[in-house]
Amino acid sequence: MINLKFNVNGKDVEITVDDSLRLLDILRDELGLTGTKEGCGIGECGACTVIMNGEAVNSCMILAEQVQNAKVETVENLEKNEVLSKLQDAFLDNGAIQCGFCTTGMLMSSKALLDKNPTPSEEEIKTALEGNLCRCTGYVPILNSVKDAVKKYLHK
Amino acid sequence: MKSIRKIDAIPKLNGSWKFLDDYSYKGMIHGQLLYSTCHHGIIKQIHFPDGYDLSEFTMVSAADIPGENIVPEPVCDQPYMADKEVFHFGQVIMGIAHPNRKLLREFISNTSIEYEELPAITDIKECLDNEKNAFGRELTIDHRTGKKPDPNWVHHHKIYYTPHQEQAYLEPQGMIAVWQPKDKIMFVRATCQCPFFVKEGVEAIMGDTIKEAVIETSEGIGGAFGGKEDFPNLLAGITSLLSYKSGKPVKIVLDRSDDIQITTKRHPARIEIETWTDPKTKKIMKIDIDYRLDAGAYQTLSPVVLARGVLHAISGYSIPDAFIRGRLFHSNTPSNGAFRGFGAPQAFAAMEAHIDNIASDLKMNPYKFRKINLFKIGDEFPTTQPILEDHLSNCLERVIDKSNYSKKLKEFKEWNKTHKDKKGIGISIGYHGGGYTGNGEKVLNSEVKVVIEKDAIVKIYVSNTDMGQGAHTTLAQMFFEAIDHPREKCRIQLPNTSKTPNSGPTVASRTIYIIGNLLRKFAFKIKDELGFENLEGYVASNQNEFPREFRMNFVQDPSVVFDDENYVGVAYKDYSWAACVTEIYYHADTYQIELTKSWSVMDIGKVVNQKIATGQAEGGVLQGLAYGLCEFFYKPGYGRMHGFTDYALPTTMDLPEIDVEFIHNDSPIAKGLGEIPMDFPAPSVRNAFHNATGIFINEYPLVPERIYSYMQRATDRHRQTQTV
Ligand code: FES
Ligand code: FES
Repeated sequence: MINLKFNVNGKDVEITVDDSLRLLDILRDELGLTGTKEGCGIGECGACTVIMNGEAVNSCMILAEQVQNAKVETVENLEKNEVLSKLQDAFLDNGAIQCGFCTTGMLMSSKALLDKNPTPSEEEIKTALEGNLCRCTGYVPILNSVKDAVKKYLHK
Repeated sequence: MKSIRKIDAIPKLNGSWKFLDDYSYKGMIHGQLLYSTCHHGIIKQIHFPDGYDLSEFTMVSAADIPGENIVPEPVCDQPYMADKEVFHFGQVIMGIAHPNRKLLREFISNTSIEYEELPAITDIKECLDNEKNAFGRELTIDHRTGKKPDPNWVHHHKIYYTPHQEQAYLEPQGMIAVWQPKDKIMFVRATCQCPFFVKEGVEAIMGDTIKEAVIETSEGIGGAFGGKEDFPNLLAGITSLLSYKSGKPVKIVLDRSDDIQITTKRHPARIEIETWTDPKTKKIMKIDIDYRLDAGAYQTLSPVVLARGVLHAISGYSIPDAFIRGRLFHSNTPSNGAFRGFGAPQAFAAMEAHIDNIASDLKMNPYKFRKINLFKIGDEFPTTQPILEDHLSNCLERVIDKSNYSKKLKEFKEWNKTHKDKKGIGISIGYHGGGYTGNGEKVLNSEVKVVIEKDAIVKIYVSNTDMGQGAHTTLAQMFFEAIDHPREKCRIQLPNTSKTPNSGPTVASRTIYIIGNLLRKFAFKIKDELGFENLEGYVASNQNEFPREFRMNFVQDPSVVFDDENYVGVAYKDYSWAACVTEIYYHADTYQIELTKSWSVMDIGKVVNQKIATGQAEGGVLQGLAYGLCEFFYKPGYGRMHGFTDYALPTTMDLPEIDVEFIHNDSPIAKGLGEIPMDFPAPSVRNAFHNATGIFINEYPLVPERIYSYMQRATDRHRQTQTV
């Protein structure tokens, strides 16, 4: 067992968990944040992407001890007071959501990119989302959404 | 053609929409499948690892089944769990459950099974090349004239192979069963396409021990593409049995590697085509097609895939003398099943390649050769079904025009003269018959239900699921737009077999085409019956009539008369049509094809929701291109493919520019959309590669290893001719 202190979506959390748990299990099973999905469990699909200390990470590949003192952000933090973030809005406008299983991971990878680089090029967007698989959309509307969000950020 | 926002979009964006694994029940334990790692053999003994308290586990095997150990399918030949003999890698032997999922996983991975190994067929060619492996009913479409081919006609005889394809829905297969002993009800929460199939599956395995199985889907179904058509029946059966035996709710979510290794895939095919073409008129005069599918170890639903395969095998060409023979072949690999396209992508992959082979031999432009042979109004399918529209030809003209095909053909030819890398451009066409084949829709007799509440809320009840294709949004839209009812006053019930009537499975591009058009008709019928102009006003002034329930069944058009025995008649009332042009850049040093741009023009009839339809089409086109380019299993069933690192799904980095356009959308009827985008793109990649390099590859996909070996052969041949 391991005693963990970290911050999730702006809230401090203290919790004792089995040290073999992954960040994904802690979020989903211990904290009830099921917006983060498991598509493969071995770092291949990106459905479990969250932002940890400013970086997009596959939460299925992060072990409990690595979470100590970390700052974690999940999809549940994007919508504030029932207002969607600009990025979510752009996904909505572009019809970027089909089955939705990849969507939350896509949002977090995109957010991590835009947080660091608010004006990415098309290539930079593609590279940032390379680890996020989507079988439904063919990626077209997802890439358009990120491009749109960039425009929205610029005009805020 | 409005783009009404998807009803589930916001909860999917904020993470609150629940997928199967997001549900949990009090006292729930976890289940997992123990499956065969032997391709064919007799189970000698199962060794469980030491150090575990076996009393903590719930285990079920064939011996525990109170009902029948046969999964209900079009052909009932597959057991839920193997008894003594296993017939393929991945065949389920036991279901095992435990409160701790991690411990259960360890326990199962340390369990070993001893087999007496028997001979097995696991290679696609070993299966399909050998006539002895044929099993099940043979289908033939016989439209022969009995005349001998004219000796002046040019004869082409080629064999084409297509691989397995993985559906790769992002949400793995999963099931939760909750046994309710008081009412003798087995409640099942499923991520599936066909709740009523799952119901049958659970009731078959549980027999008289239960009164009824009630199936409700999860809110979110994370993609399916056919993969959640029949496998869920088996999974639900075993999960239910575990819940029954343990007395607890049981959840099974497959690990990705298990999911890839044991669930159904697209059938590999071997399609042998012989044609005779008149060199003067450039018309194909006679064709003979031998269409074979590797069904895997059991037939299950393969005969239905075979039917669609033979019905699409001739592609879009009028050939006066045609014979098509379709057969299933047996191998020791997991049963293959439904995958978007359902036998048609294999057919087009072969025939569209064959067309380019002939055109090249006749030194003809592949577009012009297609144009000469394409269906025209008044022609017939080999089943004698008349061709009533020339929309296929319209699609082809439009895509040739918008892609600048003719100009590029010349430009690339010039460019290629001075470059080691090559550019190429290729065409393909396709179509898809909407709904169940032949008399299928008559037999299904789909029913829909609508309840109008006192506050004029309309609630729609159908058993068709929304697995990401936006079906629920589009279905509701078809109803409320017909009677001009406000969108916010329209709801759709989550499919549940005790609440929603059986409107059939979510397959065969039938949801919008059959159920959507039915709902539209239904809306008009209710309007007529009640005689209102405005539903809200009517409900307000006639409060005592509400809530009120309405039901309606689908009635097949009388023109659909199909002889299932002889394969004669009208197989599908309406077809969606498509044509595609794909441009590639071939990297000579790495033997790699880079897709640069792909244009698709489709006729899906009325486009109900532009955004949803475009999204469906783009996603399907990429699946189709990847089928031609990179997706396959090296060794099916060997466990070679464990995950997405092995199985090359396209990522954002592989994405070409994709352009899709719908034509003829002023049509009154919305036709099938789900499958058509997957049917046709693959051969355009292959034909573009041929255009770039002059090399014919008659096997899919065109991965660098394969290209390399064909290139080597071509160079060797070249050398030989020089030495001679
Ligand atoms: S679940 Fe973590 S990358 Fe797939
Ligand atoms: S929307 Fe289904 S996987 Fe992306």
